[in-house]
Amino acid sequence: MTNQDLLYHYFSNSLTAEQEVVFQTLLESDEEFKAEFEYENSLKKAIKSHESDVLKTKLQGFEHDINSKKTESFNYRYLAVAASLVLLVGWFGYNSFFGTNYSNLYNTNFSEYPNTVYTITRGDDENTLEREAFVAYETKNYETAIEKFDALSETTAQNYIPFYKAQAHLGLENIDDAKTLFTEIVEEDNSDFVAESTWYLALIAIKDKDKEQAKFHLENLIANYSYNQAKAKALLEELN
Amino acid sequence: MESVQENITIEDLKQGSDLLFKQIYEDNRDKFLNFARKYNLPQDDTIDVYQDAYIIFYNNIMEGKVEKFTSSISTYLFSIGKYLIFDKMKKNNKTINPDFDLSLIRERDALVDASFDLDPNDLTAEQVLLKKYFGTLGKKCQELLTLFYYRGYSIKDIIATSEYTSENVVKSAKSRCMKTLKERINSNSND
Repeated sequence: MTNQDLLYHYFSNSLTAEQEVVFQTLLESDEEFKAEFEYENSLKKAIKSHESDVLKTKLQGFEHDINSKKTESFNYRYLAVAASLVLLVGWFGYNSFFGTNYSNLYNTNFSEYPNTVYTITRGDDENTLEREAFVAYETKNYETAIEKFDALSETTAQNYIPFYKAQAHLGLENIDDAKTLFTEIVEEDNSDFVAESTWYLALIAIKDKDKEQAKFHLENLIANYSYNQAKAKALLEELN
Repeated sequence: MESVQENITIEDLKQGSDLLFKQIYEDNRDKFLNFARKYNLPQDDTIDVYQDAYIIFYNNIMEGKVEKFTSSISTYLFSIGKYLIFDKMKKNNKTINPDFDLSLIRERDALVDASFDLDPNDLTAEQVLLKKYFGTLGKKCQELLTLFYYRGYSIKDIIATSEYTSENVVKSAKSRCMKTLKERINSNSND
């Protein structure tokens, strides 16, 4: 058995008792062997530290996912409560005093869709343009986000880009631009955000005081998708 | 989830599945945060400790330091976490209360196996260089050296889990990777 073989066995935890004795003797008597062993042992530590960094990045990514899920479910819960209140107040208001308050309905039900597709804490070697786009989106720099999403759609076919671009337009109150994009998403029907786009089209119709359009989108959402079912039903009832 | 976790074996973990890695992290997270509440650390610090404890646990599994679980995964994580929290407090010179003698609990928690490696990842100057240049090696070299040094794979194990076809091929690939690494470090330190 060569010295190199002894080292192989040492690092794969497979030295026999006999080899262990030879190994220890060599460490004490052979300077060259000792130096090689120490070098490889250092490399082992360096690789472990490298692996730990990789693991830490992964865990930070999980943590980010957990936090965004929490924010999302908080928003949904809040919205569900808000929608019920709207239903009560709206019903009462409609019947007693004012008629449908479209602007309130829109404001109460509208919330910016959270970034659920791109984890910002992912390693920096990822597509940096996409990262920049979502950083801008999350920090509500919608104009920058739109520019980056535009540049991005030239090089990538990710089907969620138009949806988030539409969200950024909503954030800037460019309702018509948002509406065009959402309509395209629903018509093309090949994005992961068709149901969400339908919901936002309904909200836009409410903002435009277009009751028929709003009802059309809500009925479409209730019949074909599971997203925001309860809220859609509540809103529809409100409009009827 | 509990029952799933109780059935997880060292072998399952050693497969290196990302899904399992994530599941165990998520399943034990709330329990750990709850457990650590009594130490009054800021939430971000507690999460940081939980992550470091989880990495230490995982590294020990991957390096083959644990042959079989002697307690539940959460117990391992609590023990390591406790060690890290006291280590952190000692470094920050923070005491829980003035009568508390930190040296008493600095001792290894009996629940953690004696073979467990709890040493912090402090690197010597040489190791820092090795780490830096290891990161510049090609993907294949990084994988091969990681299997060998971090996962403790024998050459036979490596043949069984990779595209290498014989012992000699593995040995010569490994020598080439080591040579490249040495050359890169040397050429840099001669600059």
